[in-house]
Amino acid sequence: MENLFNLFVRSIFIDNMIFAYFLGMCSYLAVSKTVKTSVGLGIAVTFVLLVTAPVNWLVDTYLLKPGALAWLSADLADLDLSYLSFMIFIAVIAAIVQLVEMVVEKFSPTLYNALGIFLPLIAVNCAILGVALFVQEREYTSIAEVTVYAGGSGIGWFLAIASLAAIREKITYSHIPKPLRGLGISFIITGLMAIAFMSFMGIKI
Amino acid sequence: MSDNNKTKEREPMFSAKVLRLLKNPFNLENPITVQVLGICSALAVTVQMKPAIVMALSVTIVTAFSNLIISSLRDTIPSRIRIIVQLVVVAALVIIVDQLLKAYVYDVSKKLSVFVGLIITNCILMGRLEAYAMANKPWPSFVDGIGNGLGYGMILVIVAFFRELLGSGKIYGMRVIPQSFYDSGYMDNGMMILPPMALITIGVIIWVQRSKTPELQEK
Amino acid sequence: MEHSNKYIFIYSIVMVVVIAVSLTVVAVQLKPAQEDNIRIEKMQNILSSVNVSTADIPKKKVIDIYHRYITSVVGINHSGDVVENDAEKVFAIELANEFKKPADQQILPVYTASLDNGDTAYIMPLRGKGLWGPVWGYISFKTDFNTIVGTMFDHKGETPGLGAEINQSWFMDPFKGKTIFDQEGKFTSIQIIKGGAPDDNPHGVDAISGGTITSKGVEKMIFDNLTNYQAYINKQKKQ
Repeated sequence: MENLFNLFVRSIFIDNMIFAYFLGMCSYLAVSKTVKTSVGLGIAVTFVLLVTAPVNWLVDTYLLKPGALAWLSADLADLDLSYLSFMIFIAVIAAIVQLVEMVVEKFSPTLYNALGIFLPLIAVNCAILGVALFVQEREYTSIAEVTVYAGGSGIGWFLAIASLAAIREKITYSHIPKPLRGLGISFIITGLMAIAFMSFMGIKI
Repeated sequence: MSDNNKTKEREPMFSAKVLRLLKNPFNLENPITVQVLGICSALAVTVQMKPAIVMALSVTIVTAFSNLIISSLRDTIPSRIRIIVQLVVVAALVIIVDQLLKAYVYDVSKKLSVFVGLIITNCILMGRLEAYAMANKPWPSFVDGIGNGLGYGMILVIVAFFRELLGSGKIYGMRVIPQSFYDSGYMDNGMMILPPMALITIGVIIWVQRSKTPELQEK
Repeated sequence: MEHSNKYIFIYSIVMVVVIAVSLTVVAVQLKPAQEDNIRIEKMQNILSSVNVSTADIPKKKVIDIYHRYITSVVGINHSGDVVENDAEKVFAIELANEFKKPADQQILPVYTASLDNGDTAYIMPLRGKGLWGPVWGYISFKTDFNTIVGTMFDHKGETPGLGAEINQSWFMDPFKGKTIFDQEGKFTSIQIIKGGAPDDNPHGVDAISGGTITSKGVEKMIFDNLTNYQAYINKQKKQ
């Protein structure tokens, strides 16, 4: 339990998807002009992460890893399909995003109205594939760990985009040197926010 | 995109138009600083020059060949499954690059870790495929891919150059700041090695570029 | 451009087949080279645990150097009996896979190295859990199976600047000369002490400040893995 909580806090603050790994920067910079849309995108990313990461973990553990097919028959125990993992992960993500979109549209039109436009964007959000690959690389051993890590990463991403949007809304009234306006200042703000987040590094639980 | 002239006459291999495709991504249409594409997957590998260069080359190869393949197939691809076809081609190329790196430059591939896989979702790829390769002939598309890959790689290498020089006093793994500097009190700036400085370095690069080319400035 | 469903269907099937075949060809072609890299890295790690640095040596030569230093490789079980003598087979053993088996079926490798100064060292592989993922390494002992000759640690994704420091020499070097048994011959393993170990502590080394969980992980890894070797060590000492 303690371990899971630790993982959760660290994936939000210290190994933040944006500030430590720059994942999902494209939509982060493009959609952070107003707080409302960025909150929508942040929730959508967290939601999709919570679904795709465990599924990708299951696929990796029971289909792709060296020896993963041993549960089917002993003859397949030597098979190593891990070279296909990029392809399978991205296919799983694209399929799930599509599925989530259809399910949400059918059962909750309000949620669909809020998230709908963001879902197609998410399939190519690096953070989603990034989490799947980090889970594979770090060899998480239980589905609980994977889910907690995915949730934490999603919330971390959400925090990052929501706070950048809030700052950018304020900054429209400031005098920024002309060449720095827009993209330039966004990068520098993100850098400064990342420095602030680094102060969580010393945290001990 | 700027050039959509449908001239029927044969163009020379390196016409002015093709050369422009190669040159523009370095400044006026730089994928990172102007088009805001593909920042995601690669900044984390800019702590040192060597992984940054390998990453830049990998991205260039994948962009060029995926542009070439998609452009050659563009008339046969059913529009309804267009995105899937593009993703599959890109993913296949990335897998090949990853396997090659693991086989021939194992130590660099370990440093790049998951970031090679993340080339798949690098927005540069889908961006160029949709915006250029789907509407242009294979050869210009190939050149467009190379240009954009290199323009992107250039930023990576610049960022890595400053981070490695100021962060660990080295360039491409070689010590360039002499020991006498350290003896007289100079210290490596450990901050440069940490992720936030990659973002700030890019911010500064954008600043410099836009001061020199005012037409890029945002209102 | 509109296409019939049949066309789309055939198109996707052809695409999937073409790509699957070409990827498989590439993967199979490159597999030997990739496996060589992994083998060579393992050899370098084993050598570095007896303080033989091979970092600047061309890959091809590492194999020769490995065979010059490592004189025998055996696999033992938890009761300390040698159960596998084939050096190639033992070299291929991955602790990660062994630990998934029941304890009585696990085979643990022991490498014997003859060093430049004529000493013999026994090298044992280690594997455990850090903060983010697996940590692993090798630890080598003098013929008393008590004094540490050297260690080598590595990790997959520990926090840079904190936990990731376990593969740096400032963390690994203090292990040299420490002992894992106290005066009475009781197994103490190595303690990694937060805030620094006193110089006269024969079983303690400094922890990484800020990397507490990784340090604890390394400590637990050494304890757990060496516990598995206790029976073997006791038998060797009696001889």
